[in-house]
Amino acid sequence: MTDTRQPLLRVTDLTVTFGHHHHAVSAVAGVSFEIFEGETLGLVGESGCGKSTTGKALMRIVEPTSGTIELGGVDVTKQRGRALRNARTHMQMIFQDPISSLNPRRRVKDIVAEPLDCWKTVEGAERDSLINDLLSKVGIDPQVYGNRYARQFSGGQCQRISIARSLAMRPKLLICDEMVSALDVSVQAQILNLLEDLKAEYGLTLLFIAHDLAVVKNVSDRVAVMYLGKICEIGPADALYDAPAHPYTKFLLGAALEADPDSPMHSQVLEGEPPSPMNPPSGCRFRTRCPNATERCANEEPLPQELAPGHLVACHYPLSISRK
Amino acid sequence: MSEKLLIVQDLSTTFATAGGPLPAVAGVSFDLEQNETLGIVGESGSGKTVLSRTIMGLQPRTNVTVTGSASINGFEVVGASEKAKREIWGTEVAMVFQDPMTSLNPVMRIGKQIDEALRVRLGMDRAAAKTRAIELLELVGIPSPVQRYDAFPGQLSGGMRQRVVIATALACSPKLLMADEPTTGLDVTIQAQILNLLDELKERLKMSVILVTHDLGVVATRTSRIVVMYAGRIVETGNTRDVFYHHRMPYTRALLESSPKVSNLSHTRLTTIPGRPPNLLNLADGCSFAPRCAYATDQCHLVRPPLQAADAPGHSFACWNPLPTTRGASSS
Repeated sequence: MTDTRQPLLRVTDLTVTFGHHHHAVSAVAGVSFEIFEGETLGLVGESGCGKSTTGKALMRIVEPTSGTIELGGVDVTKQRGRALRNARTHMQMIFQDPISSLNPRRRVKDIVAEPLDCWKTVEGAERDSLINDLLSKVGIDPQVYGNRYARQFSGGQCQRISIARSLAMRPKLLICDEMVSALDVSVQAQILNLLEDLKAEYGLTLLFIAHDLAVVKNVSDRVAVMYLGKICEIGPADALYDAPAHPYTKFLLGAALEADPDSPMHSQVLEGEPPSPMNPPSGCRFRTRCPNATERCANEEPLPQELAPGHLVACHYPLSISRK
Repeated sequence: MSEKLLIVQDLSTTFATAGGPLPAVAGVSFDLEQNETLGIVGESGSGKTVLSRTIMGLQPRTNVTVTGSASINGFEVVGASEKAKREIWGTEVAMVFQDPMTSLNPVMRIGKQIDEALRVRLGMDRAAAKTRAIELLELVGIPSPVQRYDAFPGQLSGGMRQRVVIATALACSPKLLMADEPTTGLDVTIQAQILNLLDELKERLKMSVILVTHDLGVVATRTSRIVVMYAGRIVETGNTRDVFYHHRMPYTRALLESSPKVSNLSHTRLTTIPGRPPNLLNLADGCSFAPRCAYATDQCHLVRPPLQAADAPGHSFACWNPLPTTRGASSS
């Protein structure tokens, strides 16, 4: 399959470094990927791998240190002031903690209306009907709940309100940072289904950041796996989960717990913990925990190589090279 | 048949709140064999944490009423004095709490926190306690335990801290280890390490373990029996395989089907449970799950179903309109 679709978002060599000199932590150390229109890219990794920082850097909530972020062909990293504010209306972010991302002392209708009131895109009766429409779309009855305060809602409902708010400006790209990890499974399923419905209805493109492998697979067309600030593997969701090419992806999938008593017990568990991003290993960043690592891995950083169309792996000794 | 280590009978915990009595746990009965792992599963607010704390005898001193019985190796916890309970904490039963960041004292060296239990409970002297604490750190897989003995919790990662919490719990060789969401908040690879460690320690030290969790994946391969809770009550219990493959209660099925699975293709539509868990302050007389249940009838809304035996030994469920039995139909 050759891709004739246009990428909505193209990230090239993005780095984010916090601190200076000896205290510098490179949270994101050279990340490149594309997201095509109407697609969902899942971004998985363990805590500290830089997945949330990547999401925040796209919105320029944290400043990228270097690299480019092109949204619809325009480099967001070069923009300032009004142009940047304009660009941000095309991207919206939904955060992990639904309760703290809403002001508890404001009414639900006002929270959802905030972006519209800032930009004055619609006013008066049109504005009210748009808000009612958005709230109904996310399953909150505007007549009953519209005038209630955010503090009166449960986590699942707050996340619905956050979604309604993020859709108010009709963004092209939605960045979801661990948006279901604070929710119970039954509520999580409702929100994930809602997200799929809204994505189809509003023609959204999604970057879905999460640590839960099953959740990420469920919503994503393609999945990128991050380790210590770098993407180690990226590919179509089903292919990547069926035949992971990077040893880290394989370990990560092996550690995922399946709700099935007959699922095979993991024979191999990844030992140890990720090294500190303040002092990352030379060459391949995974080599200190990788069973297949050789001297070459310490000396030479593996560059992404294409195993199958759209399936890239950054490893000198990929696991499923036979599929090529 | 081995003797029971823990017998819980008709245990209820009710909190007095400004809005009226809140029955967090209501009429729960189950038991636990020696060297067995039991899973307690439920969503937030189902009463699983209050249940495990009640079994430990850890309640606030006021505004709480506990009735029924929980007996650990013959010791009746309900109604026991603080002093009496202190005799069983550590030696008979110990608990690993959810948050490894807050269950350790941040300004006390980890070695001292393990020592404390050894010296107070087992009357060891300083030197003996230190030797034993280092042994325990080694047992839970902490690299270079002699150096780590002097570390502060803030110098360790979340996974390492949870190992220290487990070492503290194991200090006085308890017969029952209660683990309340021991891996929530940890990364998947670290979660696998901690669960493997608990499994291994259970075999080596001949303990019984109660795993309290919201994650069905955690209990699927690690437990022999499961208790499913909803709104403070047990709605289904049985051998792990029976609960996963031959469940009769619609809630159990809904819970299983609503969790995404790695083995499903991407964009698989999830089955959802409509609505939300009930408000425990004004529960209806009938089945607590009835308002969200697709099979509910008038009877469900009026009369609470009791736990009734299913066809497999030890398997029971609370439902008036259970799902048809799948046993014998297809798989084993």
